Amino acid sequence: MKPSVAKQPHTFAHFLVYALGFLLIWEWLRPIPIVTYTGEIHVFILFALFAFLLTFLRIPYYATVPLLFLGSLYGHHYIFGEGRFIERDGGGESVRTFFSDFSHNLGLIFSWELQALTDPFRSFLFFLLLGLVAYLMYYWIFYIKKIFFFLFITIVYITVLDTFTPLDASMAIVRIVVIGFFLVTMLHMLTVQAKEREIGRRSASYMSTAWLYTLMVMILGAASVGYAAPKFEPQWRDPVPTLERWVMGESSGSGQSVRRVGYGDNDERLGGGFIQDDNPVFYADVEQPGYWRGESKDEYTGHGWVISPDYVDAGDDISYSLYASGVSTESYTARLEMEDGVGFSNIFYPGQLTSLEVNEMANADGTPTFQIERIGGEVRIADSDTLLLDYQLDYDFPSFNTTALESASEEEDSEAIQERYLQLPDDLPDRVGDLAEDIVSDYDNRYDKALAIEQYFGSNDFVYDTDDIPVPDEGQDYVDQFLFDTQRGYCDNFSTSMVVLLRSVDIPARWVKGFTEGESVETLDGGSERYEVTNGNAHSWVEVYFPEVGWVPFEPTQGFSTNVDFSEEAPDQEETVVEEEEEDAQEEPNAPEQDEDLFPEDDEFGEAGAASGGSDGGGLFSTDEWVTPKTVIISLVVLVMVMVLYEKKHRLLSHYFLLHYKLTGKNKAFTTAYERALWLLDNEGIPRAEGETLREYANRVDHITGTTAMGRLTSTYEQVCYGGRSTGTEWTEEQKHWEELVNALKS
Amino acid sequence: MEKHAPESTVSQPFVDRLIDNVEKVVVGKRREIELSLIAMLSGGHVLLEDVPGVGKTMMVRAIAKSLGAEFKRIQFTPDLLPSDVTGVSVYNQQTMDFVFRKGPIMANVVLADEINRTSPKTQAALLEALEEGSVTTDGETRELDKPFFVMATQNPIEYGGTYPLPEAQLDRFLFKFKIGYPSAQEELEVLNRVERKHPIDELKEVLSLEELLTMQKEVTKTYVDETVKTYIISLVNGTRKHHAVHLGASPRASIALMKAGQAYAYMQNRDYVIPDDIKFLAPFALRHRVLLNSDAKLSSITNDRVIRDIIDQVTVPVKKAAAKR
Repeated sequence: MKPSVAKQPHTFAHFLVYALGFLLIWEWLRPIPIVTYTGEIHVFILFALFAFLLTFLRIPYYATVPLLFLGSLYGHHYIFGEGRFIERDGGGESVRTFFSDFSHNLGLIFSWELQALTDPFRSFLFFLLLGLVAYLMYYWIFYIKKIFFFLFITIVYITVLDTFTPLDASMAIVRIVVIGFFLVTMLHMLTVQAKEREIGRRSASYMSTAWLYTLMVMILGAASVGYAAPKFEPQWRDPVPTLERWVMGESSGSGQSVRRVGYGDNDERLGGGFIQDDNPVFYADVEQPGYWRGESKDEYTGHGWVISPDYVDAGDDISYSLYASGVSTESYTARLEMEDGVGFSNIFYPGQLTSLEVNEMANADGTPTFQIERIGGEVRIADSDTLLLDYQLDYDFPSFNTTALESASEEEDSEAIQERYLQLPDDLPDRVGDLAEDIVSDYDNRYDKALAIEQYFGSNDFVYDTDDIPVPDEGQDYVDQFLFDTQRGYCDNFSTSMVVLLRSVDIPARWVKGFTEGESVETLDGGSERYEVTNGNAHSWVEVYFPEVGWVPFEPTQGFSTNVDFSEEAPDQEETVVEEEEEDAQEEPNAPEQDEDLFPEDDEFGEAGAASGGSDGGGLFSTDEWVTPKTVIISLVVLVMVMVLYEKKHRLLSHYFLLHYKLTGKNKAFTTAYERALWLLDNEGIPRAEGETLREYANRVDHITGTTAMGRLTSTYEQVCYGGRSTGTEWTEEQKHWEELVNALKS
Repeated sequence: MEKHAPESTVSQPFVDRLIDNVEKVVVGKRREIELSLIAMLSGGHVLLEDVPGVGKTMMVRAIAKSLGAEFKRIQFTPDLLPSDVTGVSVYNQQTMDFVFRKGPIMANVVLADEINRTSPKTQAALLEALEEGSVTTDGETRELDKPFFVMATQNPIEYGGTYPLPEAQLDRFLFKFKIGYPSAQEELEVLNRVERKHPIDELKEVLSLEELLTMQKEVTKTYVDETVKTYIISLVNGTRKHHAVHLGASPRASIALMKAGQAYAYMQNRDYVIPDDIKFLAPFALRHRVLLNSDAKLSSITNDRVIRDIIDQVTVPVKKAAAKR
């Protein structure tokens, strides 16, 4: 069949289709200067056009090859040479350098030093590729007559570039879809007409003007509706960080790029936006979920937080006291298992740590020595190379009595506490202090003041956001910027500002960092639950010092809540009921998921979760469980499989039917198999005409497929259908014909 | 064509031998010879509408001679009487009795030439013989010999002094077809053959009348599936519904088509009828059984065109009918 196709004259319709093919190739070339260091891309586009023309005009190959070579020489001269091409010291020189360059690079190729290939030679290879592509396109369009796969590849190419490179392909994708629609429909029309020619119903391919106009109106209409229609924000999260992590083998636990959310050590310079990252950090089995405390810092520099650590060897007693003995607590245990490739040398604990047991470590040298940082409460292994992978800890989870908190007096703060936790930078603008005074002016006790400041962030036009958060200038204060200029930010902004405001009104407070409790993924036996904690759960919050109570956590960030219980009346104390204001979320202390609907109108919030970040911030996220990288990959695999199955459906169907017919009775099976063959033929575009008998039809089918299978099948079928008898011949015999027929249909 | 062995005993070799034998005399008319044989095997008769001299007589004679059958020819003229066809009783003075003298119809193979030239009365006498297989003279019904095969001809070009057969009467013929002119090469072959001596004189009997009778019986045993019957009915029904048709084909047409189908299948050594047989035979069996309406006649639509339309439109059944044998 091939030669007959090739000999057909090319009509205008063929030219149009081929031109559309060239436009698709152009779309491949467009992004190249953006994503690579290639210059002078127009030379390559012109060369591609030249190659396409030569191929389309069916210049014999002994002319095409030299012409293309000449073209690439000219391109070489245009890009790298000097002077006019036709002159000796212009083009002649270029040709000379080209050939010396060529032999040099040939040697490089054979010694496999591909990195050292020179630019002119690379350009030549590119020209070569374009020439081949022109032929390939011709082959696809006029021999195979299928272009969808190429179109699909083009779209994949553009989307991948758009996702992973700075290229903005929002217009390119529109162009490709429009070109692709035209290409696919017109090519299909040509195919249909070619088939009509085969059965003698048509003499030449022709696109009617009316049809073309209809096509144009429909495609352009559809494209403009698609372009103008409102679009959802991305529903799945950006897969790039995940993919990069897989490809680069990067550990997500620490030391990642500044712009990724996560838990880190350095908080000296806060600010800036960050990219959401929902890779798991660890899984925790807990009975009572709470914020995972990593450490706290005490000194605010105006740009961030530092600490002068005071590590002591812990010995056997690994505990860190946060609450005074009067606070009612419940003891619980928790077990943390780090995700593969993640490890910290410090531990994370909810509530107040009482004891620790390590199950698994990495890079451990003998028995590790634990250190406790006495100021901030960091518990870590002395050797920072050792990473904790799996550990179990006991902790006391507090329940604060608001009456006790309200009655705590400020005068009871010790000297040490006052000195350390009332620290503020000297150059803190006065308006911060004024604002703090303003907020607390109506309240007379520490608890109410702290609550007032905490709630101050819930109103007053503060917006939770993770994108485009500015880093303060050298002379600008981080807190001042947030409170008065931007009023937009994430947990670090909120928590740092609250600490600074508290300290301005002489309430000792400190800045705590760690993770939120994560997301419950599984309910375990014995009442505990398994929580997944991701990089996006990295968080910072506030602890306020109350004499006789200890360090009480506060949560200024919008949409977050500590799980700590504030009760008005402690069960074992006779306190009077005092009216107090509570946060909404505190009414459900055990709710594992955050209240998304607090900010239903805020897209950013729903997408990024209530994340926070910078180099060390963190936050909650609340995206649906099923959109994980794993499910995305599985969906892709399934999609590819479905496509393969669709492509191979005839072969698969024939195998299925053959197997099926083997298992069932002979006579009936053959009849159904034959009827199935009729159905397949009908679907393949060789339908039986109304008044056509089976024998005539079989002759026609055999003529088209070039086999005798249908005729043989038909004569057997006639005996069954019209002869009133069962098949005398072996079904295995017919099986071969059946297979032959179905396979012939494929080609 | 078919691999399985036939149940019949005579069939193919004899049919082939017969056709080959006739072809010694008639050049390039195999299809027409076949159609004649089909009619003969299924007990039907043939109407030829053709100009004189194209070999009608020669074909019938060759068939008759190959069978060793008695051949008679009746030239129909306006003054021909029914008794000239059927025979007449004459008084025998010796025996003092009426003796029946057989008319030319009392033969195995009869050529009725130019039947549209004779009076309707005489035509009726012939047509009775065709339909009933018997003739009535002097109040006595006489059975005709078996096998009995009539090939009638009509002259299509002369209308003066003719009595065209009524459409209802045409129904009595199984097929109507033309022989047509031979091609130049065939005509040359005809000239070569008759140059010295006419080949008909040397024609030998290849099949006895008894064998033909056996074959006629075997033909009726050919299986016609419900599916194929459905197809026949659909086709005949199609003639009744076609917009250009004033009067469609009768159930007799269905019967004729089925019988012819049996014979055709038998000739191809197949013991069942397939739609292809019916489709092949339908134009010959149906074209003279439909009467077009005046609109169609005015727009010069022909019977053949209508039959072709119907054949193209009626779906060939390709799935076994639910009913059992």
